[in-house]
Amino acid sequence: MEHVKITVALIIAVLLQWTLRNVAEPFAYIDFPLIIVVYAALQGSSIRALFYGTFAGIAVDALSGGLLGANGFSKTLIAFVVSELVRRVYVDNLLLRIPVLAGACLLDDLVYYGMHRLLGQEPTGPFVTTIAYTLIGTTIAGTIIFLLFNVIFTENVKRAKREVFTPRRQTRRRNPIRLSDRR
Amino acid sequence: MVERTQKEVWKITPWIMLLLLLSNFVLMAFDAREANSEQRVIRVWAQTTADFVQSPATSLSSGISNYFQSISSLRTAQSENDILKQRIQELEIEVQNSKSLTVENERLKSLLGLKEQSAYKTLSAQIIGRDSSAWFDTSIINRGSLDGVKLNMPIVTNGGLVGRVTAVSPLTAQVALITKDKSGLGAVVGELGTSNALGVVSSNGRKELLEMGYVPGSVEVKVGEGVYTTGQDGIYPAGLKIGEVVEVRAGSATVAQQIFIQPSAKLSSMQEVVVLLYEPPPRPEFDKSLPNAAKKK
Repeated sequence: MEHVKITVALIIAVLLQWTLRNVAEPFAYIDFPLIIVVYAALQGSSIRALFYGTFAGIAVDALSGGLLGANGFSKTLIAFVVSELVRRVYVDNLLLRIPVLAGACLLDDLVYYGMHRLLGQEPTGPFVTTIAYTLIGTTIAGTIIFLLFNVIFTENVKRAKREVFTPRRQTRRRNPIRLSDRR
Repeated sequence: MVERTQKEVWKITPWIMLLLLLSNFVLMAFDAREANSEQRVIRVWAQTTADFVQSPATSLSSGISNYFQSISSLRTAQSENDILKQRIQELEIEVQNSKSLTVENERLKSLLGLKEQSAYKTLSAQIIGRDSSAWFDTSIINRGSLDGVKLNMPIVTNGGLVGRVTAVSPLTAQVALITKDKSGLGAVVGELGTSNALGVVSSNGRKELLEMGYVPGSVEVKVGEGVYTTGQDGIYPAGLKIGEVVEVRAGSATVAQQIFIQPSAKLSSMQEVVVLLYEPPPRPEFDKSLPNAAKKK
């Protein structure tokens, strides 16, 4: 059930990426699909995260002046790197997830820019400014979205646990001192 | 459904990643092309598919933002109304003047025996989306090849030149703004035919300004002068207003001047544009037989 929710979140993220820049320019610096891809990878579903990265990336590239597949390439790579990190390091805490997201955002931008340079298509945005703004925007938005997901998904997990493991009846312990007194 | 153990998943993941990376790389290599060459079919498909979702989503989001804007603009409506009434009166006088001028113009033209030259056909379009990547700054318009839009057609607003079409799908087209287009356009400061200040206008990295190069240092250029297209670049027709000179860094007899131009069109806030259905005249035959053209083949 959780992967259906993440898939829906990814579709919404792509739609937001397509439309929000037309509403206000600063939204260009928030990479919504990347946040969802990183979240999926952090959940431990590595194969799914790879496919999410590819499809979300290509969807974003379809309406961009950049190369078709550049975002797909960078996001697939990010999904793999984060999945490998999760396999080796315990990052089940929101505070630990924030630097992971920031690092993923930085790497994503560097790979995206590098692939364009490699294929002779220089992006028109200024290098340092775009990376800095995207890093700030995506990290802030990602932290809020991760908090939101924690509330949505964790509540369900807690409820399911409650249903499966019924609470144990509390039995009163005998006081060993009293027992000794009776004697 | 086949259940896999965690170890099996870990083993298979790098291979899937490599496969996906390779397919993305192939897509990129296939899409990478010269700026002026024909576009790839795969991009047309991708854009057409995206349009079915993007158009309703954009109209919904713009509807919501328009609703809130209309509420906030009600406060200033009264004062705006008074200003507009005054403006209408002024315009009525101007219309009367221009009517008499048109009649006079017609009379003089007939006297000189000049034939009426038809201007380019135009097509109004709405901007339905902006570039989804922060690294690029293209716009998407709601007109495509079904409406007659073709690659490299110029886009203008009532203010001036906006850019050119860089990708076309049946229902939408992608527009590269002049402030972000790496390829230069032929321009002149002042009137074409009378001014010697010919040069090439291109983006210079500063978001709002354009830079004009190759203007000889001996030619006088003043701040505030208008800059127009010359039509020599093979994309834009002559006489379109690009902007106004805001800064001139003087050159010498051997060094070209550096001229900075403020675009006339409001590129950051425009919502409606006009596509000029203009196709440049075909290049002369000798152009095709140049050694570089032969090498590319």
